[in-house]
Amino acid sequence: MLKLVLFSMLLLINAANVANAEESTLPILSGIGGEFSAIDADGKAIESTDFTGNVVVLAFGYTNCADICPFTLGYLKRLYAGLRAEEQQQTRIVFVTIDPEYDTPGHLKGFIGHFNKDFVGLSGTQEQIDYIVSLYQAEYKPLSVLEIPTQNIRRVNPKLFADEQEAKEDKASLFSHTVTLYLLDKEGYTRSLEYTGTPVNEFIEKIRGLINE
Amino acid sequence: MNKSWLIKLLILLGVIALNVMPTLYANNDKPLIKIEQFWIMLPPAVAHNTAGYGVIKNEGNQADTLKSIKSDYASIMLHKTAIESGMARMIHQPNVTIEAHSELVLEPMSFHLMLMNLDKKIFSSETEITLRFEFEKSGVIEIKVPVRQPQY
Repeated sequence: MLKLVLFSMLLLINAANVANAEESTLPILSGIGGEFSAIDADGKAIESTDFTGNVVVLAFGYTNCADICPFTLGYLKRLYAGLRAEEQQQTRIVFVTIDPEYDTPGHLKGFIGHFNKDFVGLSGTQEQIDYIVSLYQAEYKPLSVLEIPTQNIRRVNPKLFADEQEAKEDKASLFSHTVTLYLLDKEGYTRSLEYTGTPVNEFIEKIRGLINE
Repeated sequence: MNKSWLIKLLILLGVIALNVMPTLYANNDKPLIKIEQFWIMLPPAVAHNTAGYGVIKNEGNQADTLKSIKSDYASIMLHKTAIESGMARMIHQPNVTIEAHSELVLEPMSFHLMLMNLDKKIFSSETEITLRFEFEKSGVIEIKVPVRQPQY
């Protein structure tokens, strides 16, 4: 009988150790992040508190970005694919555009959906975006030298009057921007700053740790 | 010196000549550009821009400068992504010199071809397009490049 009790105690201690090992030890990074409102890729108003209960990986970017953002979203696609189905349900990959004038919700939906339809694209007014950027101590600025009036750079077909009307909508700028990936816990606190250089398995373990908290 | 020694000496001289000749031939003070492994990322349907990657090698004995890259289906620039203090910015590289016996590697988050104002009919599915690289000394080198989904 004594042996059985001792064995049960050992099992309990071991189980507790395993549970502790799986929980996150990441500190809260105070001063980075906070509550905000935005417009999602379906055009609906959204609050950051809507993500409460989910671990969030938040990135900034824009759809005219040809190298950094597609690479980052490709990395996030691999990261998300590495999570188990039940973990994916508790994780939100959020891409906040820093070019809301160009990246309308519909445009953002098409861009993000190319990588993964579960990913959340956030746009909004310039003020909303600037506020989110400031909350996360992120930065962005137009590359004045590289502003691309996309119309007329390359013209294969003759210029039409309709092109003039489209030109206003088709004016794209290039930006420099923060490439940090913010890992937020289920309460919305920033717990870690990652990059596309972080090994995917290492990042997954951090997400797992926050899910298990 | 007997006859066999003379034959050995001739063979030795022949071997040396065979080894030296190509070097002499290569030492013609010209760049020798090879463009390899290029591919272009199939963009999302709504995107106007995309990127291309690959390697430009200069196996010659003289440097050469990449002046432009052109296509009938997009406007193209050579850019470099630079990350400083967590902030990424793109820097236009109008004239990149590739030194003798060196290479320029274009890869994500580094040097890349920035393709803008894409012809959507061409970039709507996996295909192949022609790029024309113009070098100061080597002139125009034309290659066919696949447009495909990224592997990462």
